[in-house]
Amino acid sequence: MSDLPVILKQVFAFTKRDALSWATYRTAAITQVISIFIGVFSWGIQASYVQRPVSEMYSSDYISFLIVGLAVGNLIMPLAQGVERQLNPWTLETIFMTGINKTAFVIGNVMWTYIFSIISFIPYLVIGTYLFNAHLNPNIVATFFAFLISAAILVGLAMISTGIRIVTKSTDPISWLINVLQNLFAGILFPVVFLDTLFFPGISTISWFLPQTWVYHLCRLSMLTNPSLTDPAVLQAFLAGTVFAVLLLPLGYWVFSWGVNRAKREGTLGWY
Amino acid sequence: MPPMPALKAEGAWLGACYIMAYAVETVGLVKRYAVAPSGTFIGLDGRPKSRSVQSFTGIFGLFKKQHGPYIEALKGVDLKIKKGEIFGILGPNGAGKTTFIKILCTLVLRDGGEVYVNGYDPSESPSDVLRNLQAVLPESRGFNWRLSGRQNLEFYALLYGLHGDDARARIGYLLDYTGLRERADDCYQKYSTGMQRRLLLCRALIRDTPIIVFDEPTAGLDPTGAVEFRDLLIDRLSRREGKTILLSTHNLQEAQGLCDRIAILDHGGVIACDTPDNIRHLVTEKRTMRVVFSGMVYGPIQDRLISALKEAPGVNSVSPTFDQEGILTALTIRLDKDADISGVLSILTDGGLSIKSVNMDEPSLEDAFMAMTGRGASNQGAGRAEGGA
Repeated sequence: MSDLPVILKQVFAFTKRDALSWATYRTAAITQVISIFIGVFSWGIQASYVQRPVSEMYSSDYISFLIVGLAVGNLIMPLAQGVERQLNPWTLETIFMTGINKTAFVIGNVMWTYIFSIISFIPYLVIGTYLFNAHLNPNIVATFFAFLISAAILVGLAMISTGIRIVTKSTDPISWLINVLQNLFAGILFPVVFLDTLFFPGISTISWFLPQTWVYHLCRLSMLTNPSLTDPAVLQAFLAGTVFAVLLLPLGYWVFSWGVNRAKREGTLGWY
Repeated sequence: MPPMPALKAEGAWLGACYIMAYAVETVGLVKRYAVAPSGTFIGLDGRPKSRSVQSFTGIFGLFKKQHGPYIEALKGVDLKIKKGEIFGILGPNGAGKTTFIKILCTLVLRDGGEVYVNGYDPSESPSDVLRNLQAVLPESRGFNWRLSGRQNLEFYALLYGLHGDDARARIGYLLDYTGLRERADDCYQKYSTGMQRRLLLCRALIRDTPIIVFDEPTAGLDPTGAVEFRDLLIDRLSRREGKTILLSTHNLQEAQGLCDRIAILDHGGVIACDTPDNIRHLVTEKRTMRVVFSGMVYGPIQDRLISALKEAPGVNSVSPTFDQEGILTALTIRLDKDADISGVLSILTDGGLSIKSVNMDEPSLEDAFMAMTGRGASNQGAGRAEGGA
């Protein structure tokens, strides 16, 4: 560890602190784990009765589609919430007085939540596979890249959300908008092409402008269809996701820096 | 990399390195706050109401530039704090103390003037500034209540890039230094106010910076804890380690006892900056000397003595005190602040008085503070919503 750059040590510091803190909330930790099981059971039971094929997009069945979607949702949502939970004036002023790198601040604050989400990802898949006969057909390389692109997209969104929240001190409209659009258009519970059937043809186009759609799509693509990254159609999807990641990461950094500087100029960094 | 020379800051080139003459130097420092920052509303209690922008029209307000009306929290502050000195910042609430400190700590950006912390500009080189200055701000604890004191310090040590044996050694030293070692593995939430304050100090010292800033260091501490804290400041941090200490406080006695020099801020400006003794005498032109002596019957000799005293240079008035039997027991002499006391004492001894005691009623720092600001140090002024700009 002595050779690690300071930024990695800082990320490690946040992760260790949050893991230690989480471990002290024993009851909360237990209920959190139980709720994962309850969640997957309830969705699994529901899905068992609503067997709708999703072969159009993933050549798979609805239960597999849903299980992966919920697992991914469970994996990514905490990313946007992680920093937000750390935003209180006592912490913010003190942490910034350490001279911490802004990226390390954001990544460090979401890292434990992300690690815990990955751990809770496993029971979703195990229960889904063995109890509800979800058929996973993953490609490890594609899954790795899908997770990488997803993490970049979501860290970008988290930084945008945090930057605005530092200025607004309250509900962040961007997060709210993202959540609303995600629930409607990102294809958590149904493939986005079904929007054309549910509403009117062409409306699913909106979905492809949402970064979260690509997070779900790439994860499902890589875990349900054993895709080859040399397949032009698959590569195109991964490149589209990469474009979102490449745009959102610097934009997120810029918005976060803007928020911090704005609060410093207004003298409101310590306000909440 | 050597500090960059300031435009107006004082210092000298030593080889390739510019050596700053002062630990902290501000030149014409200005800070303005918008009366209500965009999207923010100030409640009736003076605290900010949350900037809820659930309506989307509110989002656009966030990106608008601020165009007055403004409150000027700092109006051209010029201060020079020497290396190794204990410097106090006094002022009523709303005077600009917290804004000044937060600018040094890189938490607030200035609107005008220059600021240098060991030669580094907080706006331009915040990381370099924070390598030279750390602060103990009571309102910004930043500790996780569920973790132990040691675990909290380990977290901050990692943020500073310290880890492993180096971090353990430094933390162990600081826990000994502040007397917290025995309780280091207790949860932070079990700590008393004094222990929490000492843990704040530990955190500020992890990096071993040459400048330490304290904002109300003894507020909330019991008298014993306050005395221990002051001893720690003077004996260890200042005398033994030679650190520059910047102290913001409402406690005038504390400032008088601790500080080498103090600055009094009011309405965003420095209205006095000198040693506590000099400041005490800045506004008080008179001193009072009370001389008690073996009682004597009042007669022509004593009358001539009093007349001689009244004619002595610097003496404004002389009032005799008699006991119930009409015996002269004491004299109260009002003097100019620069009057020669030895001359007065010579007149008394030459007059044959057997002096038992001489007391000078010196003006206190509080007297000076009241006279300069028109308020007591602890009075609530029209401070900013955060509780004192």
